[in-house]
Amino acid sequence: MQAEFRAPRRRNRVQEDFEASLPVSHSSRKRAQLRAELINQHVLVCRPEDIQKIYSQGYFGKGILSKARPDHSISDQWEYHEGLLFPVISSSSYRELLQWARAFLSAQGWDNEAISQMMTNLSRPVQIEDVKKEVDGECPVVEGGVGPFTKRPRSEVNPKAKRSCSDPDSEHVVSGAGFVLVVFEEEVRELRRIPVPVTEYLQLSLEEAFFLVYGLGCLSVCLNQEPLSILQLWKTFRAQRPDFVCSYAAYHYFRCKGWVPKGGGGAKYGVDFMLYRKGPPFYHASYSVVVQPVNSEYKGTGTRPFTWRSLAALNRITTNVSKELLFCYVVFPANLSDAELESPQCLSRLKVQEVIVSRWISSRERAEQDDI
Amino acid sequence: MAQQNKLDAGGMVYSEILSPSELFAARSRSHKIPIKGQKNFFPDDSDEQQKQLEQSLNEHCSLLSEERGKGCNGTLVKATWISSKQVVELQSLSGKFWQTMGFSAEGKRYLLPEEALYLMECGSLQVFYEDLALSIQDAYEIFLSSETVSLHQYQVFGHLKRLGYVVHRFDPSSLPSRYAQQLNLPQSGKNAGNQLKRKHDVSLTSTSAPSLSKTLVPTTDTMSADEHMKDESVDESVAMTSSESTADESSTTDSAVMVEPRKWWTSDIIEDKGSNHRNCSRSGWDFSSILFPDLGSKENLSGSLASPDPSLLPGALAVGVCDVASWRSKINQRKVKGSPEHRRRGVDNQRQGWHGKKDEEVQSCKNWTEFNDLMARHQHRRQDEQAEHLWNREVTPLHDPSQPLPTRELLDICSVIKPTCLLEGASRLKPAHEWRISFVVYQPDTASEFKKSKPRKPYTHVCVCGFDGPVPELQTVKLLTSQSGDVPVVFAVVDHGDVSFYTMKDFELPTDVFL
Repeated sequence: MQAEFRAPRRRNRVQEDFEASLPVSHSSRKRAQLRAELINQHVLVCRPEDIQKIYSQGYFGKGILSKARPDHSISDQWEYHEGLLFPVISSSSYRELLQWARAFLSAQGWDNEAISQMMTNLSRPVQIEDVKKEVDGECPVVEGGVGPFTKRPRSEVNPKAKRSCSDPDSEHVVSGAGFVLVVFEEEVRELRRIPVPVTEYLQLSLEEAFFLVYGLGCLSVCLNQEPLSILQLWKTFRAQRPDFVCSYAAYHYFRCKGWVPKGGGGAKYGVDFMLYRKGPPFYHASYSVVVQPVNSEYKGTGTRPFTWRSLAALNRITTNVSKELLFCYVVFPANLSDAELESPQCLSRLKVQEVIVSRWISSRERAEQDDI
Repeated sequence: MAQQNKLDAGGMVYSEILSPSELFAARSRSHKIPIKGQKNFFPDDSDEQQKQLEQSLNEHCSLLSEERGKGCNGTLVKATWISSKQVVELQSLSGKFWQTMGFSAEGKRYLLPEEALYLMECGSLQVFYEDLALSIQDAYEIFLSSETVSLHQYQVFGHLKRLGYVVHRFDPSSLPSRYAQQLNLPQSGKNAGNQLKRKHDVSLTSTSAPSLSKTLVPTTDTMSADEHMKDESVDESVAMTSSESTADESSTTDSAVMVEPRKWWTSDIIEDKGSNHRNCSRSGWDFSSILFPDLGSKENLSGSLASPDPSLLPGALAVGVCDVASWRSKINQRKVKGSPEHRRRGVDNQRQGWHGKKDEEVQSCKNWTEFNDLMARHQHRRQDEQAEHLWNREVTPLHDPSQPLPTRELLDICSVIKPTCLLEGASRLKPAHEWRISFVVYQPDTASEFKKSKPRKPYTHVCVCGFDGPVPELQTVKLLTSQSGDVPVVFAVVDHGDVSFYTMKDFELPTDVFL
């Protein structure tokens, strides 16, 4: 008997527009390459236009300074000062940024005199004319505390300006090049330059990165400026995580069904990932997925044994957050050799079995219950 | 468990049969369960709280010390335990329970041990063994054994029955065959009667596993013979398609590596510079080893030319050393300013490290067409430079972004991993002793509608396990699902008397595409 499919629940307030389900274009014939770096065993996307494309079309990755969408800005509060919009920070935050700048400079090897000179230069008050010169000279494009999706105060700004900061038609010209209003004491605001530009990167999980490279062919991952081929990437990821094949197989399977699997469910819900329909901003997650490898006899390898106690606890948590617990068994055939596992082409030999685990309450009103 | 209500100092033998006044009192006693009040979390040393607590405790005590009057609410049915057959035989007329429990055989009415124990606990049945009435404790010890029903299974049975469900033992041979299911045949009454008779032979615990597996094996064989063949053919077809796809992939990568079509007059040079024999046999001369002096090059050649190889000269012509120094000084004097594009290309080439005429590839071009092809390839190479590591290796991405596709087709191409269902491959599995279906549960209707001889479609099958035991693996789930036909299987987990039910159902996530 098959479990019935429950329709996903829509979120109450949806503030984003749906762009596309995957970051591939449907019309152009160019192989536009998005680029990511493998730094310290993490995959990071550094270029802002790539960040926007990868996140908005398919919800891959997570901003390293934000909850989900990389929209870190130096401040949540923005104010007008002589016609331009600036972020406002407190003097303590400003001093902290200055200290970071100093530490950064001394790490670069400058001597103390030079550092003090540079710091005084950096922290002198800025006149509005300088700002205007810089803003007119170049496109108010990302630098300093302004990232591709920077938050704006909602009441003040036209919602369209929220999405892209380089919007020449908008009435509100944003000072892009790293200026900030510092509150010294009692509402006295002074215009200063941002000492340390805080840029945000997009971090991709290993499965997301591999899907973009292998499944869609639109991303290249570079290690020390050298782009890695698919086989090299597969080997690197497998070395980093022994169960990569299994978790990637599950990720690939769900992506190819058009759902959005987001990792990070482990810390919150005790499972491997959550499945969203269309994307996190639109619907609540429908399923919590636990991935388990099984061999050809359908017996598990024992890497994550469940007891009834832990299963009952997991089921309870999942029910409390109105999701369904989905066990995803990845079936490895008996004759899959190690050599085959060295290449991602072994994925076509794997199969996926989905099982929904739920609790049946025997004492519920029997008239209401039609089926288990 | 009749407790003495009135203690006599003289230690009188207490009578089990109540006097009429006691009987009336027992019958007219309030049957309400004391209501639970508000929870008191902290003791606040108040009189009111103290009073409430005392009242609740008193209610509890009086409730617990009530005598359970057997047969107060109706007739008390008498029965005897027959240990040879491990069943209970009814002696007096049966009550309302006969509609859903028990079976008849050889003109007599019997009850299964778990049913008898349940009825004893309800207070409607009294079982005798060798003319002695059995107490509940005796009954637990005698009726629940390894040959009949285990304690866990009885607890589940009792739990479901108290909620009103109709619970019977599971008989694997009672499942209709696959073919009958497809035809949607109703079960005939005759077969059902035979099954009921056979029920008491079917025991639910592990010791009689061989007999059960014997009955199990033939049905699974017949039921899944065609399934097995289907599995094989499915596996074969999957294997074939996967091998086809790999063959396709390898052929595409082959063609990607072969960049240009071979032409007869370039093949020998591109293949192997070392194979001079073939060339010699064709034309006699190896043009790759014959150097034509390049007098116009900017390199510093010596001012005199050596005499050429005599084999290249016709007849008896002899050429001596030639002095070309003066001539060389006259050429390459004016700096030729090329077109802007030419200059730009030169700069580009220098940057790319492409040395123009010195490049082997350029030297191997024999005419303008080839040269243009080479230039086009270089152009493409520069464009795809970033993607070379993806597209020109053994493993290429599944989708080429330069060939745009609608999302649905793109997802189809990328779906290399296929889903499987619980029934697939289940016929190969051997049935396990610990995991088996114990009971069949039917929806509770009004008792008059249920017919034991012709039960309706079962509501669920129950497999009992202990809380301290292992969680069923996929193998077990597959096995039980295939044994169970199209009736869902529920796992009843017993934790010291508390029963929870879990289901593990087959599921396939629907594909979801937004344009």
